Amino acid sequence: MMIRTDTRTMTIAILILTLCLPVTAWAGWLWGEDEPDPMVQVVEPFVVWRTGPAVGYPVFHSSEKGEWLTLLQRKTGWMKVRDGKSREGWVAVAAIAQTRDATGEFVDLNVPNLEAFRERNVEAGIMMGEFEGAPVTSGYGGYWFTPNLAAELWGSQVLGSASEILMVNANIVHQPFPHWRVSPFFTLGVGHIWVDPKTTLAQPEERENSIGHAGLGLRVYITDRYFIRAEFKDYKVFTSRSTNEEATEWKIGLSIFF
Amino acid sequence: MENRTKYLFLTGFCLAQVMAFAPQVFAAEKAERDDRPLIEPDVTPVPVDEALIDTENFEIGAFVGIMNIEDFESSLVYGGKLTYHLSESFFFEAGIGFAEGGQTSFENLAGNVQVLTDSERDYRYYNINLGYNVLPGQAFLTENYAFNTNFYLIAGAGSTDFAGDTRFTLNAGAGYQILLTDSLEIHLGVRQHFYRIDVVGAEKTSMNTEISSGLSVFF
Repeated sequence: MMIRTDTRTMTIAILILTLCLPVTAWAGWLWGEDEPDPMVQVVEPFVVWRTGPAVGYPVFHSSEKGEWLTLLQRKTGWMKVRDGKSREGWVAVAAIAQTRDATGEFVDLNVPNLEAFRERNVEAGIMMGEFEGAPVTSGYGGYWFTPNLAAELWGSQVLGSASEILMVNANIVHQPFPHWRVSPFFTLGVGHIWVDPKTTLAQPEERENSIGHAGLGLRVYITDRYFIRAEFKDYKVFTSRSTNEEATEWKIGLSIFF
Repeated sequence: MENRTKYLFLTGFCLAQVMAFAPQVFAAEKAERDDRPLIEPDVTPVPVDEALIDTENFEIGAFVGIMNIEDFESSLVYGGKLTYHLSESFFFEAGIGFAEGGQTSFENLAGNVQVLTDSERDYRYYNINLGYNVLPGQAFLTENYAFNTNFYLIAGAGSTDFAGDTRFTLNAGAGYQILLTDSLEIHLGVRQHFYRIDVVGAEKTSMNTEISSGLSVFF
């Protein structure tokens, strides 16, 4: 009973700690920022302001050509701005990209597009699917050495009716056509698997094995910073017995890139 | 001859005219074009650096509520979640929650029977979800305050650690989000968790409803 109370206290402590994580976000709010906020000048006939960062929020104001706007913060595709009369509202980043800054040049804003997708260095995502008929949930992160070649790290959890499986994998990915919007790829890698049978089974036997795998898949760029990824993998489980086991897996998921 | 005299005379006259007026015209034009400020500013204009603009696409928060665990009474549930906003409409959410299963009605009626040990009654789940903001809007508090709001639908999968095993769990629900400021918000949510369980008799789909409220910050 004592131990249970302890673990609960621990969990609460961790929760409070995680709440303190965005302390940098709070610091600016509490003590004010040193850097002056960047300003831009409207050069189009007008830009519209919305009450919130989405097209669903109503337009309540517009700035005319020549007005200066202070850029406060960005949320997805929207920029919070302040004008000379201290009004605040949200303007689409696409509209801000058509304003000029103090140097008279167009504002250099990073608008993620297909070109950025082709030149990505890092990607990460979450995928779900089936591993030998049981549902699998996976997360991964990858780094691109060249436009064609990447290394990835995976963590997966398979929750079958008879057992729980945890998997850690490392693999290399090759995509032959990096400039395609729908880009196929091949993977090859190794990993480790832990199988934990359900307690209700008659003879629970925990085991762990090394695995090797090969697969093929597809990435489809959608918009902004994200793409859909789907793949099929064939696993070889290296057992100490005379024969090795084989398993197949398919997954589909959403990834972001930077 | 007369023409030639006329020509010379007129050319001379015209040139004189041009000489007399032109400098003023050019000068006026020049003054108009000179847009240098009278006082040169000390600061040189700096281009907008995107890295200095605060980007707030992540959100971290904690929640507390009530969870009804099928066959095992209702319990206090608490947890945390991390959200990444992909766009104005879509977001990823990773959540973790803790609750505790109570007594089954069989245990209550039969008296001295235990279906699960104490540690097996600890209910722990994690899930990864995709959310969609369907109804962005505003809520008005008196005539002075307007808060941005969102109604969102959310669904995903994960696992539940309960009754001695880890079970694949699907969840779906909806939530209402009130942004107190652009960085701080309140959540009210309803979630339904589904998993297969065979602890009390035959295997069945357990449906667990969670109602929670939470507070989160953007960073």
